[in-house]
Amino acid sequence: MKLRSRYPSADKIESQMTPMIDIVFQLLVFFMLTLKLIEPEGDFSINMPLGRPMEATVTDAELQPIKVRLEADPQTGELHNLRFNDRDLGAGPEVFQVLNAEINKVVLALQNVGPANAENGADMQEVELDPDFELNYKYVISAISSCSGRLTAEGTTIPLLNRIKFAQIREKEQ
Amino acid sequence: MKIRSSGSNVPNVDMTPMIDIVFQLIAFFMVITNFEQNQADERVRLPRDHLARPPEVKRENSFTLNLGFRRDRDTGAITDPEPRLFFGTDEVLVEDSESRLRQEAQFYEAMDVDLAEVTVEIRSDGDVSTGVVQELIRKCQEVRARQQSADGFQRFALRANQKIE
Repeated sequence: MKLRSRYPSADKIESQMTPMIDIVFQLLVFFMLTLKLIEPEGDFSINMPLGRPMEATVTDAELQPIKVRLEADPQTGELHNLRFNDRDLGAGPEVFQVLNAEINKVVLALQNVGPANAENGADMQEVELDPDFELNYKYVISAISSCSGRLTAEGTTIPLLNRIKFAQIREKEQ
Repeated sequence: MKIRSSGSNVPNVDMTPMIDIVFQLIAFFMVITNFEQNQADERVRLPRDHLARPPEVKRENSFTLNLGFRRDRDTGAITDPEPRLFFGTDEVLVEDSESRLRQEAQFYEAMDVDLAEVTVEIRSDGDVSTGVVQELIRKCQEVRARQQSADGFQRFALRANQKIE
């Protein structure tokens, strides 16, 4: 009669690793192939009272919208001139920083009108962008960015105006 | 004298370090894979801006329109100056986009969602004329799911890449 040993030898249980490794490698290959390195994207909300009469808003009665006119070179679509409330700011590399400073002044002025308007003044103020048809879209994004906020040296964003709209669409130059 | 056994000894390879590394790789790829921006089209070269930061709260109802140029695969140069809307492999000119936009409108109407609550996210190439983007927005505003529908799309967001220095 075979007797069971009193002290059984500690047999190592061999687990089957092969299927798990197969699956794990397949997962790895899947993630490697589907990987698409995309830069982080953000967006800017914009109103567009085009093609229909503008609805009367509170700002129409109380605050005239700030007008930002963006003139383009019709051949290249590059920015030719930026006008802030009928004041030419030019088209240099710093023009959007100048626009940003002007918008900042407006916001500070609105906040200083009185305690009652401190909260709402900047919220109610509209900016109307009036770009030429041919203007490259990247300049519009820069203009919207300059109106919507200011980046501090620490990297935080100070919001300025959030009611930004397009003016009526301009005709394409022939 | 000790005699060496002649049985075939299978050498035991320790798999643990390899599995550790492989799991770490999988975890890495899972974390950096972005499933949110699957509507982005690589042909569109978005403008870049410091303030273009990803929204903290995802929009409930939104769809994306990709507007860009046909570009050379190697050099990235524009091969056709006419901007187009990219719907996967299909390309549609803005003036011919009405039926596509109507399909989107019908989809949201079928889901019982008011079109005024839907945000149209426009991913436009930085070199596209602004007038074309405005035309696209106007078409979105004018589109109706059905003839008796009241409104078209009302909310718009212009997308840009975040500029990091």
